[in-house]
Amino acid sequence: MSITFWVWFGIAVYIAAGLAIALMARRGLGRGMSEFFLANRKVGGFVSALTYSATTYSAFMMIGLAGLTYLGGVGALGFELTYLCGMFMMVFFLPRFWLVGKKYGYVSPMELLSDRYQSKWVGATAAILALVFLVPYGAVQLMGVGYLMNGISQGAIPVVAGIIIAVLCAIAWSNIAGMRSVAWTDAFQALVMIVTSAAVLGVVVVALGGFGSFFSRLESATPGLLTVPTAGGVWNINMFIGLALPWLFFLISNPQVSQRLFIPKSVTAMKQMLGGFLIFGFIYTLISVLWGFGATLLVPGLENADLATPTLLALPIIPMGLAVIVMIGITAAAISTIDSILLTLSSVWARDIHKGLINPRVSEKRELKIGQWVIPIMAIIAFVFAWWAAGKTGLSFMIAPLSSAASAGLLMAVPAIFGAFFWKRATAPGAIVSCIVGAIVVLIFQLTGWKPLGWWPGTWGFIVCAILFVGVSLATKPPKKKADEFIGYLKQKLDKGNFI
Amino acid sequence: MTKTGWAWVWFGFLLALDIAIPWFALTHVEKMSGAFLFWTIWVVLAIISAFVIFLRWKEARR
Repeated sequence: MSITFWVWFGIAVYIAAGLAIALMARRGLGRGMSEFFLANRKVGGFVSALTYSATTYSAFMMIGLAGLTYLGGVGALGFELTYLCGMFMMVFFLPRFWLVGKKYGYVSPMELLSDRYQSKWVGATAAILALVFLVPYGAVQLMGVGYLMNGISQGAIPVVAGIIIAVLCAIAWSNIAGMRSVAWTDAFQALVMIVTSAAVLGVVVVALGGFGSFFSRLESATPGLLTVPTAGGVWNINMFIGLALPWLFFLISNPQVSQRLFIPKSVTAMKQMLGGFLIFGFIYTLISVLWGFGATLLVPGLENADLATPTLLALPIIPMGLAVIVMIGITAAAISTIDSILLTLSSVWARDIHKGLINPRVSEKRELKIGQWVIPIMAIIAFVFAWWAAGKTGLSFMIAPLSSAASAGLLMAVPAIFGAFFWKRATAPGAIVSCIVGAIVVLIFQLTGWKPLGWWPGTWGFIVCAILFVGVSLATKPPKKKADEFIGYLKQKLDKGNFI
Repeated sequence: MTKTGWAWVWFGFLLALDIAIPWFALTHVEKMSGAFLFWTIWVVLAIISAFVIFLRWKEARR
């Protein structure tokens, strides 16, 4: 049997297993927006940790981050671990999101902003930001699956076939039972991701003579990759900050992950979610980076660094069965992220755009239907973007920089989110102006490739956004009553729960 | 300063190390014991700090 046959067979098994899990999740599905989009805020700690992990970690890791390591070395580790260090901020934001989510019944993070700032336009602005910038990020996941299947099958399976499979699975997983099916399939997929990637890294390390020999060979063959700035010139400090800054605030800027801060059923579940994720993230990051380093030794000289993983998996030292299982693990990682993005964007459209702006009197049943219809529409848009970007080469079209570029746009909501929780003087005009102008700056710099002082678009956008947020807020009138109530409620509850 | 304030200061300190050590102090160490080891230990420190804080969280009494 050829590798192509086993790839198709593996994908068929994966789809069958995913469908079975999603359909099982549907059995417990109740009615309403909160039920569909948040699993009624009753998700246990174990599943919360795994769905958070699977949503956060995607094709980006074993393909994009491994590719960036392959190209530029240890800077990729620092960049990704900066994100994980940023998760320290969960000790501030997780209890705050969770507490106000329960009290006020928020379905999306944008709804939180609308209510806190007493302006539907704040939520709508953040919603549009998410709709614009999450599409490229979703597309990156699709590209990852396409590259992977194409690489492992040695070109027999076209990139577009992988993209189509990923789109169809993501639509199914998210539509069958909303957050329930997404969380359950995520949990299953997260376990597959980490077990398979650890196993295949083990095979590569053994092939290189064990960790000691692996590290010695790295030091002698590619010493320039073990320091920053990279000797080859890939990593410099502006690029590092430009990529790491959006990643640092990923936990609050990306609504598909911040929406998950609403779902744990208890404080114990929150603790398990955070602890489980931190451990998962640490292990998975090291695996992905070491995998990329392994590729520099075993398959040097690739023109497209994003193909490092598929090329390495196609080597004879990797047993065919393991390569297919790993491919499924990475496919699972990609799909578990895009289905979460689709689910979040659909809730954002239904709650913050349709109900918030177009028809405030819409019934909950109709609102839910609209959300479900938006899922395939968003999927098609992401598909078109992925198809277009998959044909391009260069650093800007690599998975890691493209992902970070998308997060650079979402970063513009961060000052407004900080203000919502920590600054009573923050105002709706401050939030709206900072989001819009910051996003325009990011888009202009992104599209023109302009980097004044060598600083990346996200860095400039964030500086402009933060200054505008503070300046406009100070010049306008805050919603004092709501701010006092919101922050006052949190202060009282945070003290009781020993939160900080 | 409040506990929350100290936690923000600690987080800021970790971020300062993220730039200062690998980008300035370890620039010429082309070994696994350079930036690779630093970032690994550094993030373990951040993770442990988070554990120390969130393990104290408790269910609020009704």
